[in-house]
Amino acid sequence: MTDQALITQFQNGDSKEAAFTQLVKSHQTQVYYQIKKMVLEHADADDIAQAVWIKVWNKLDGFKQESAFSTWLFRIAYNETLNFIAQKKRLTAHHSQKELDHSLEHPSGHDGLKESTIQIKLERAIAELPEKQRFVFMLRYYDDFDYEKIASITGTTVGGAKANYHQAVKKMTTLLQTS
Amino acid sequence: MENESISKELVEALKSFETKTKQVPAGYFDQFEMDIMQKINAAGQAPKRAPIVAVFLDHKQYLVAASLIFAIATGLLFFNTAEKNNAAVAKVEMIQIETLPDELIEAYVNNNELVAEVEWNTVIETEAASLSDNN
Repeated sequence: MTDQALITQFQNGDSKEAAFTQLVKSHQTQVYYQIKKMVLEHADADDIAQAVWIKVWNKLDGFKQESAFSTWLFRIAYNETLNFIAQKKRLTAHHSQKELDHSLEHPSGHDGLKESTIQIKLERAIAELPEKQRFVFMLRYYDDFDYEKIASITGTTVGGAKANYHQAVKKMTTLLQTS
Repeated sequence: MENESISKELVEALKSFETKTKQVPAGYFDQFEMDIMQKINAAGQAPKRAPIVAVFLDHKQYLVAASLIFAIATGLLFFNTAEKNNAAVAKVEMIQIETLPDELIEAYVNNNELVAEVEWNTVIETEAASLSDNN
């Protein structure tokens, strides 16, 4: 069954739960992984993903299908993730930076010293990207979303999304080389 | 393709980053939709609050602000009214004394003087009696 048919079924009130469950099953991994790339911790990603799907349940009746369901869904995920990051930033201003500094000084891991150091450097580089650039980069690089869809999700123009992607690549490359 | 502009080192790091982010607890996705439905059903069974109450409870700062404004407004209103009433009473009393006829005022003073004299005499006599008893 297509997303469109499932949404119609949900909106008509015919076995709402079944239609919704099917939508969750179809998109849950993609949404979760996108969120996890932004927040890194499973517990955080799980909290945000749950908040996203609860919001979808509450708002799906009013979804007019003017855009693809996945675009609408990722827009909710984007907003929920940004809200979460903003809240967490206020609570732990310098905590993660200190942890990363400590990890860099004492690298560990099963893949060997070099790889884990590069990994930590990358995580630091990703953490230093503005949230929008990070989100755009992940959607483009890992999920291969086109720029129009990314622009619609993040509320920017196609040119803006392209610029965000290239700036993210440039910053990560520079940070990997210099840090 | 734009990814060609990404350095080999970054590509490798991004690959292992993806592997890391794809690590989830076993069975997480099998359970996920059931967890969501449980939460949604639990929220649906919770007693619904009236919209205005919900707005205040969801934004407690508004409730505090509204209480403060109410308290200040009530205080100001009360003190203003009390002052106005006191001024009005004082004015009425002044007018009444001024409009009293002189005879009435004199009679009032005389009567009260007599009462006062009688009271003083009684006190003096009582004290004198007690002094003579002591002696």
